[in-house]
Amino acid sequence: MTSEQRPRLRRQWPLLPIALLLVFCFFLPMALMVVYSFWTTDNAFRIVPEWTLKNYQRFFTNETYLRTFGKTLLMAALVTIVGIGLAIPYAWFLVRYTSRRTQRILLLLTIVPFWTSYLLRVYAWQAILGARGLLNETLMGLGVISEPSRVLVYNNNSVFLVLLYVYFPFAALAIYASLEKFDFTLLRAAQDLGAPPWRAFMRILLPLIKPGIVTAGIFVFIPVLGEYLTPTLVGGTEGVLISNLIYNFFRGAQIPAGAAPAFLIAAFVTVLLIVFRRYLRLEDVVSRG
Amino acid sequence: MARLPGRRGPRGIDVLETMPVSPWAGPMRWMLRLFGLAVLTFLYLPIAVMVLFSFQEGRSVTFPFRGPSLEWYEKALANQQLIAGLVNSIWVAIVVATLATIIGTMAAFGLVRSGVRFPNGIRIAVTMPIMLPGILLGLSLLIFLARAVGVPLSLWTVVLGHLLFTTPFVVLIVAARLSGFPRSLEWAAADLGASPVRTLRHIVLPLIAPAIVAGALIAVTLSIDEFIVTFFLIGPQSTLPLYIYTQIKFGVTPEVNAIATLILLGTLTVLGLGALIASGGRRLRRPREGAV
Repeated sequence: MTSEQRPRLRRQWPLLPIALLLVFCFFLPMALMVVYSFWTTDNAFRIVPEWTLKNYQRFFTNETYLRTFGKTLLMAALVTIVGIGLAIPYAWFLVRYTSRRTQRILLLLTIVPFWTSYLLRVYAWQAILGARGLLNETLMGLGVISEPSRVLVYNNNSVFLVLLYVYFPFAALAIYASLEKFDFTLLRAAQDLGAPPWRAFMRILLPLIKPGIVTAGIFVFIPVLGEYLTPTLVGGTEGVLISNLIYNFFRGAQIPAGAAPAFLIAAFVTVLLIVFRRYLRLEDVVSRG
Repeated sequence: MARLPGRRGPRGIDVLETMPVSPWAGPMRWMLRLFGLAVLTFLYLPIAVMVLFSFQEGRSVTFPFRGPSLEWYEKALANQQLIAGLVNSIWVAIVVATLATIIGTMAAFGLVRSGVRFPNGIRIAVTMPIMLPGILLGLSLLIFLARAVGVPLSLWTVVLGHLLFTTPFVVLIVAARLSGFPRSLEWAAADLGASPVRTLRHIVLPLIAPAIVAGALIAVTLSIDEFIVTFFLIGPQSTLPLYIYTQIKFGVTPEVNAIATLILLGTLTVLGLGALIASGGRRLRRPREGAV
């Protein structure tokens, strides 16, 4: 390494373009957003450089905003937990109960939705659950209901279902990558030593696939925090998430008011990433594509 | 006693064949198989329904199925707005993929080869944009470009936004590949009198080519599908996802099903192509984990 140290600066020029891209399109814009979140607007919606905590105060004292923020966190947590809960048995099925050949094909089948259009996967559900969608029309055709049911779509349940659908492949992929490397004879060993299956699962398997679980969690939880499209298309007024609020602020030219919750999310995500950075296996998820 | 079907253990020994298994193993195997099947159905049923009704006759998207007809495909392909959006999407995707591949590959070299200080810090900085929700990228860049810089929004601002979340993938994939083959190959070339440029051209680039291609394909796929970042940064034009969004915001139309089916076909073709190229590279030399 020592011999390579001297002309280091000269050999670092390939990093220049990405540095420019990151600084001018990511870090500076983010910094500006943070600054704006502490500024305010005048009556003509122009941004005034007056330092204030007003935007945060307003956010934390308004019940609707708080409830939406809480619901977004809850929704993200639920989708993550249920997604991982489904991904573990699914990955188990792939790793243990399929032949090498079938496993490859099924794995591919799990990945393909992950690379197909996200917008269209949400749409596919709208077409099934929506007011003029398959389920409602069929039920009406059968005379079960007389007008489009609002139970099926435009509420929190439909948002949950569609988010689970959209993000399950991420979870499955991350868990699979971990479980594939797991030595299943360890479970037998634990049982030979007297551990009941459930304890062997909790004490041996779960700790060893922890990186996969954390990766899956991060890859599901964070995008759900910023979900805009799904609540907009299948959530209606009830299913609104924090992104819809942020967007409405910006549409109403209240940039500082919207920048505050946006910064809260960015800060929250950054903290999560720092806490869990040791377990993150980004490559596992990327490389399977 | 019940036995699991023969399957090679991690060490290549057929461990399961030699071991007694609990009486629960049989039922559990069937439950998990059923579960796996249920999950796959859950994943594909909506897509299957969408494809099926793209061949429906008439406006409604419900059973009983009438058709098959290509009515909606004809309508979609004759739709000027849709074609304009598609052309814009493809233009953006090509520009983004080209720039992301160049910037990303250079960055991968810088990261792996320059002995840069804090490589992990740089890795984290590079990964940040893909870890944050897209809405934050779009918003902050919009504020910055519109308020601080004063650039009019256009397809070029969309390109900037897309570069943010595509370039990191290229960096990660190419860097993994680059650190995955021995440098002795390059030293050998240098010993044999090859100039650095020649070594790069004849040794290094062929070795990392599959990773570069894979990175470019990922960039194309992500860019062409992106909605939220485009939504914020686009000017008066439209892209395909934006057009679809305006169509489906207020309801369901078989025309979108037809477009969706065509997009699905396109994606599968690109994926197949990518897999083919990646496996072609694998034959050359088994890459390390993470090199696609």
